[in-house]
This record gives sequence, structure tokens and C-alpha cells, in this order.
Amino acid sequence: MTLRTSALVAGVLGLVLLVVGLIADSRRPDADVVASHRIDTPVAVLAPEIVGYEPLRRIAVEGDGEIVAHTARTADAEAWLATREATEITGLVTWEEVGVRAYVAPAPAVEPSPSPSPSASPEPSPAPSPSPSPEAEAEGEPEEPVDTSSTDHWRTTWHGQGRLAVFASAIPAGETFVIHTVNGGPLGTLELYAERDPNDAWITPLIVWGAILLIVGVVGLLYTLIDLRPWQRKGEEWLSRRSAKGEPKEGSRRARRLAGAQLPEVPLDPAPADAVPADPATADPATTDQIPQADQKGGEK
Amino acid sequence: MNRKPALVALGIGIALVASGCVAPPPSPGPAPQMAREAALLETQAAAVAADTFARLTEADAALDASLLGDRVAGDALTVRTAQYKVARSVSDAKPEVLPSEMQALYVSAESSWPRVLAGVSAQPGDNLTPVVSLWVQDDIASPYSLRAWAHMIPGASMPSMASDVTGAAQLSVTESSVAPTPQEAIEQYVEYLRAGKGSELAAAFAPDTYAERLFAGRDVLSTAASGAGGAYSDTIEADLENAYVMATADGGALVFAPLTVASAFSVSNAKVSVPAADQALVEGTLDATVTHHYRDLIVLYIPGPGTGGLPAVVAADHHLIKVTP
Repeated sequence: MTLRTSALVAGVLGLVLLVVGLIADSRRPDADVVASHRIDTPVAVLAPEIVGYEPLRRIAVEGDGEIVAHTARTADAEAWLATREATEITGLVTWEEVGVRAYVAPAPAVEPSPSPSPSASPEPSPAPSPSPSPEAEAEGEPEEPVDTSSTDHWRTTWHGQGRLAVFASAIPAGETFVIHTVNGGPLGTLELYAERDPNDAWITPLIVWGAILLIVGVVGLLYTLIDLRPWQRKGEEWLSRRSAKGEPKEGSRRARRLAGAQLPEVPLDPAPADAVPADPATADPATTDQIPQADQKGGEK
Repeated sequence: MNRKPALVALGIGIALVASGCVAPPPSPGPAPQMAREAALLETQAAAVAADTFARLTEADAALDASLLGDRVAGDALTVRTAQYKVARSVSDAKPEVLPSEMQALYVSAESSWPRVLAGVSAQPGDNLTPVVSLWVQDDIASPYSLRAWAHMIPGASMPSMASDVTGAAQLSVTESSVAPTPQEAIEQYVEYLRAGKGSELAAAFAPDTYAERLFAGRDVLSTAASGAGGAYSDTIEADLENAYVMATADGGALVFAPLTVASAFSVSNAKVSVPAADQALVEGTLDATVTHHYRDLIVLYIPGPGTGGLPAVVAADHHLIKVTP
């Protein structure tokens, strides 16, 4: 596989990665989500484990009239809720759906009695009257305001008119969170603002590497599509021209090389002072003046 | 070349799946531990006390017990109503001063009801000792209401109590982890009051001025009745149903016990008279016999096991609520 082919393959792979990365980026899920639910009861309650729910950031309620939120010890909240119709928030079913259920007060702890006293009545109790009261049905029961006569057990309280939002971090750990309307009407829309980890850290590196590989492929593709032979020929000609033979300049190294002149050989043994080198080319530089210049020039010719 | 579109399509599919594939919401974990487990935070307890004394201030100014609302109930309401009645009848009589500034509030750790809250006021003056107040919440729908108060015995000190982080455990009057049990301590103390200072039970309790004043008053009234050919007797009963017990830090108990005291004074061949302050509380027509009815509160400290010391009354007050023939 040639370098050009490898580049083309990398380019195709880069294109795929880039497309995948860009599509994934366009569909990247939001980290912040809001799940909402319509609460038809006057009271909603979040147990301590829901208040401390890791993704939960904020709790908001939008409804009519004054809305009040409290925190309390779980035992106190349970006692307060025991006589009220309430909706319990159980968390998030999905990132867009709030889990709810009707609040059921836990049964009080009953100490076992050693002397059970069964009291079965042999006489059946009279059947309830089957005749309904038309007046009651026609008028309908007015909504009974939530009794807030004693507030001693509430540890923290927030008030809102029409809308109330409380950060989950503002609710002390381990305490139950209760929201209710003052007028006793349905609470309204409850929103849970949550933060999630969308697991999208792979998208940006995918786009970057896809782009790099695509550039490599584009370069390879350019080499494939464009005929470079004219430029190659021109280059070769230029090189051949550079290497074409001609008359060397007089006295240049090339001229000397072509004349056969070589560097003088340095004798290792000390020669006598009056000795004449056998070969003028190997003569001591100090004695080169003895070399006849005419011979060198004649040699070139 | 046919593989490229397929490859691209595959990548797009993977991207769509991967990008839409967000982890589902996690399940809620276990409930975190509460930082402060007491029934009331310090701020809540202070708010209860502040609201109570605000109502008292308003009612004291008008001498109208109806203005006390639901913050004052039980014996405290009975006593305060009697004091207002006296204050309305006698020009220089005023309701007892209850300092609103608290130097300590002792909260309960209880999860069920009734729950108690105790407070120790600042010293109201050089000649007055701090006042110990008792609030009780009967159920979640009821507010904490002041039920009784008593001035501290001179020289006495309140035991160390649990902080508002955990709160003090509420004990039953039959709690056996302390000796004597709160019920035994109350009954023995009442028996000591009945028998007088010569009782053997006197050695079972630390000396206190409440008993000493009761004995002194008994002696004076007995002497006066004898001089008039009559007699004096008092009956003392403990109200165990309305007694509350809080655990102290040393494993002992702080007992709040209401007492009912009826002092009957009679003369022969004469008609008794009572001071002007008491006259406002007279129900009926006095003749040769008069009975003063008191509703008292004693705060009894039972030291924890191994700490030594005797059970001691640390606070007590003697409140006249009614005078009958």
C-alpha cells in the first residue's frame, strides 16, 4: 500500500468520524433537565432521600395563590401529613418524568399487647343508607383550607406567591420537605430541576481526529486527481541542466580535478633537505614553487 | 466505493444511538442523617419562648387571660388568670414578673407526643432567682404552650442537659434507670412535705427553701388556728399524670411535677377573713373555715447513677389559684 493509498483510506475514515461526531454533537443531550408533574392535591412531600437525590438541583411549584414550603423532622412531617391528602414525590422515573404516588402515612408503632381482646360482633351492623344526599352532591364540598395553626415543628419556611422555587442545597440534609397551598386548593405544577451527566466527552475528540484524518485524505486525493508529471519533468530537466558538463573556470577546483591534480602526499619519513620529490604533485607545499606551471596547464589540455 | 456510503450510514446510526443513549436517572439512595435530631432547633425553641412572652406582655397589660391565646395553657393559664383577677381587684397587686430573656433552653429528643421544652430565664433581679418554665406540645397540631413555671431555689443549680443537637430524652415517671424513679422521688417528696421536717424522708432530699417555707407556714397557721379554737390542715397531692421527665447529661432526671396543695384553716365561733389580695379569689361565702387552693410546680433533680448526691428540688413555686369556704 502506497503512501497515497494510506492517505486516502485515512481520509475516508476521517470523513466518517467527522460526520458521526457532527451528528452526535447536534444531538448532544442537555446536562440540565426539567421534569414536571401536575399535583392535584394541596400538599406535596419529598422525603429526605429525595431531597438529597444526587441529580436534583431545584424544586419549583407553580400554582394559584400563596404557596408555602417547609422542612421538618421526618416524624413531625409524618404526623402533620397523617390527616392530609398529599402526593409523595418518589424521584425521577425518566429525566422528563417525575415519580409520584399518593402519600400514605406510616402506621404508628404499636407495642404488642399480651392480652389480645377479640371483639367480633355476631350482630351485623346496619347497612349504610343507599340514598345519597342530592344537596351535598349539587353544592359540592368546598375546599377546606390546610390548617396551619401550629407551625412550631417547621424548621425552615419559604413563601411564594403563584410560584415558589427552592434550591435542594438549601434544604438541610435529613429533613423532609413539604410544600402546600395556603388556600387548600390543588398545588399546581411541580418541577424538578436536575443535572445529569450526558456522557458526551467522546464527541469533541471524534470531531477533531476526524478533521485531521480528513485533511490527510484530501491531500492524498489531490495527488490522485492532479497530473503532476509536467512539473516532474520540468524538475528533472532543471536538475539535468544543473548537472550538464561545460568548460570549468580556470583555476577552479573542477578544473584542477579534471587536470588530474591531486593533493600532495605527505611523506611519513623525513626527507633530506635537498631531495627533489619524484612526483611534483606530491611535493611538499613548501617546495611547490619548483613545480613548473607550464606542465600543469599542458596537462589539462 | 459502495462500502463508503454504508460505512457513513453505520457511523451515523452509531452516533444517533450513542448520543441518545443517556444513562437513566439513578435511584434515590438512603436518607441522609439529620444534623440536628432534637425536636426543636435552638431557633425554634427561642421563637416559642419569644411568642409566649409576647402574648404574656400583651395579656399582662390588659389583665386579660383571653389574650394569652394558645401559648399559655394548663396550670400556667389557671395561675395567670388568678393573678389577673387579683390585679384587677387590688390596685397595687400586679401579675408575677416572668423574665422573657432566656439563658438556657432544654429541648426534647422525642419523636412522639407530648413533648416538652424547658427554659431557664435570666436572673430578673438581685432578690429574685431565675425562673424555670415548662412548655408542652400535646400533638403536632397544637403549639408548645407554657404549662407552668417556678423560681429556682436559692443556691440551687440546674443540671447539665443535652444540647439541641440531640435533645434530651424524655423519660417516663416510672423510668428505672435512675434511682429513685421519678415517680418514687415525687411520692417520697410529697410524703416528706406531708410529714414535716421531722420526717425520716427529710434525709432523702437535699434541703430546699420550698419545703422550709411550707413547714414554717404550717407552724404559723396551726398556732393561729389553735389560738382561735380551730384547726389547720393541709393536703398535698402530686399530679403524676401531668408530670414530665427529661434525662440529664449525667444520666439522671429532671422532673417537673405539679402539686396540688389545699390549706384548710378553721376557727370556732368566729368568721375567718382573708387579705384583700386573696379576697378576689374567694368562691362562695367565708364563714368559720377557709381553704386556700394552690397549684405548685416543683422541679426535682435526681442525680445520675454513680454521681452521688441526693435528689434535690431546684425550683418550686407556690401559686394561689382559689379560695373556698
